[in-house]
Amino acid sequence: MTKDKEELLRNPKPGTKAAAAREFGIDLTLTIERLRRTPEQRIRDLQSYINDIEKLRAGLKSRTS
Amino acid sequence: MIEIRETLEFLTARAVEFIIIGGVAANIHGSTQATFDLDICYARNARNLERLGLALIDIHATLRNAPPDLPFRPDAETLRRGLNFTFNTDLGTLDLLGEVAGVGTFEDIVGACQTTELFGKHYSVISLPHLISAKRAAGRAKDLSALPELEAILEYQRNDQAT
Repeated sequence: MTKDKEELLRNPKPGTKAAAAREFGIDLTLTIERLRRTPEQRIRDLQSYINDIEKLRAGLKSRTS
Repeated sequence: MIEIRETLEFLTARAVEFIIIGGVAANIHGSTQATFDLDICYARNARNLERLGLALIDIHATLRNAPPDLPFRPDAETLRRGLNFTFNTDLGTLDLLGEVAGVGTFEDIVGACQTTELFGKHYSVISLPHLISAKRAAGRAKDLSALPELEAILEYQRNDQAT
């Protein structure tokens, strides 16, 4: 993902899907960060997030029981 | 919750024919939207149902949100009689779709899949245009909310290919 290509998402032109996504509320800077990573890195990130949420849930459960 | 790598490698080791769809596929394509289960579209030929059924039994698959005393065995015959299933397994939450709304069956979408390397192995992943069609057809709030980002990524990819 080159800097030039990133501009398509960082500063989307009016009428584009990227502009619509930004208007919808998507933080496209996060999407740019994600697209810089390989598919395997993206899945590692997702799994890490899932595991963190699981730990939080377990912690909350133990505090309330 | 799901152990993505372990589940993919387990199914592959059992020679199950499947395509990664849903939120995990969206993440592979670059979406930032989190997901907590693994959705796959599976081939419904007799050999695959047999392999998948044996695999599901080995990871103790049970129907999600079903009464615990409901008799259920996720074998090939059960898979043949049904179509789409939501399971809890030893490896986490696994959803099996025999047909994906908006795009069709394994055979309908496998030709347009992309092959993606994950953890040293190659997996079939639903194409981004098909994923967008599927999410639009599913029509749930979480699917529709994923669309703007996926469409922006597709636009980016197409622009990338055109230049």
